[in-house]
Amino acid sequence: MVKLHTTHGTITLELDAAKAPVTVENFLNYVRNGHFDNTIFHRVIDGFMIQGGGFEPGMKQKTTGAQIKNEADNRLPNDIYTIAMARTSDPHSATAQFFINVGKNDFLNYTASSPQGWGYCVFGKVTAGTEVVDKIRGVKTGTRAGHQDVPVEDVVIQKAEVV
Amino acid sequence: MHSIFVSDLHLCPTRPAINRIFFDFLRGPAARAEALYILGDLFETWAGDDDDDPFNASVLAALRELAGRGVALYLMHGNRDFLIGSRFSAACGAQLLPDPTRIDLYGTPTLLMHGDTLCSDDVRYQDFRVKVRAPEWQQQFLSQPLASRKQIIAGLRTENAAEKQLKSEAIMDVTVATVEARLRDHGYPRLIHGHTHRPALHEHNVDGKRCERWVLADWYTSGSYLHCDAQGCRVVRL
Repeated sequence: MVKLHTTHGTITLELDAAKAPVTVENFLNYVRNGHFDNTIFHRVIDGFMIQGGGFEPGMKQKTTGAQIKNEADNRLPNDIYTIAMARTSDPHSATAQFFINVGKNDFLNYTASSPQGWGYCVFGKVTAGTEVVDKIRGVKTGTRAGHQDVPVEDVVIQKAEVV
Repeated sequence: MHSIFVSDLHLCPTRPAINRIFFDFLRGPAARAEALYILGDLFETWAGDDDDDPFNASVLAALRELAGRGVALYLMHGNRDFLIGSRFSAACGAQLLPDPTRIDLYGTPTLLMHGDTLCSDDVRYQDFRVKVRAPEWQQQFLSQPLASRKQIIAGLRTENAAEKQLKSEAIMDVTVATVEARLRDHGYPRLIHGHTHRPALHEHNVDGKRCERWVLADWYTSGSYLHCDAQGCRVVRL
């Protein structure tokens, strides 16, 4: 289990190491070495998802580790309050950024092992603190440093810990 | 010195009379303005910038010619043509504006929007919009073959037409509270948008400030534009 202590409250995550072993191990490594401490949820779209794990306050991008393979063929659906890995259009490009779904995002699910079918790998879910997620999804957003949907007031993960 | 605003032209090959009016408009009134703003739904449908349909190419060429004359050209996504990308806009010589965009229109701060986000009571549409405006969805959609995309769009439009008949008149117009919130957020006093196809000038009193909301007309049966200069705005029918 992982706890994200944020400026808006604590989010508790249960991770599915059985269904997403590489992804969970990768995520835990980032938690353990303090990567997520003092990072922000830099992309918040109500009804869709809240994304973090990549930027410090001030939109300073953090360096990350190696890319990991996409385990979305575990078929875990992108249901509301699940956590999944963010990536570029390259299916196997996830590193540290993750997102918490705040809607039932079926279109993000794996359908085939093709560039358009790979989908986004779900590797756990929020088991406590959904009301914190709901607070975050509703914050006011704007454009900052060329990025859209950035919270006007920083939503910070002060500390992430394995519990 | 004046700028021109249009929206909801819904251009497609099956309305040749309107297309002629549009091309004449680009060579006439638009060429005499210093800027032309197209606030969404320029096209009836848009499957992707890689669509080599000759009709799209003819519109592109006409816009490019206008930009070549030194008219500043601005595009905004509508609910139909939100997949217009940088490839098309760069080829036209146009700048793609985010929705909303605030500009200084000859001294009056003016908010420009397509208008679909003002219909906040239409929850089903707003949910759909969140989904299809996500880069992840667009990436996945645009990576499909053009023919498949066109088929999906045709299917969506059939569903949509049926649904529209069921939606009440009330939720198909803007939500006043949302209009006022946007005016407040962006510092008043003027808003120009399209989408509802209910052209009018509305006055809103927001926090004691007199605000005006210009709704642009569609081009289904005739053309018109909003002419704005330092004196204000007025509608011109073609």
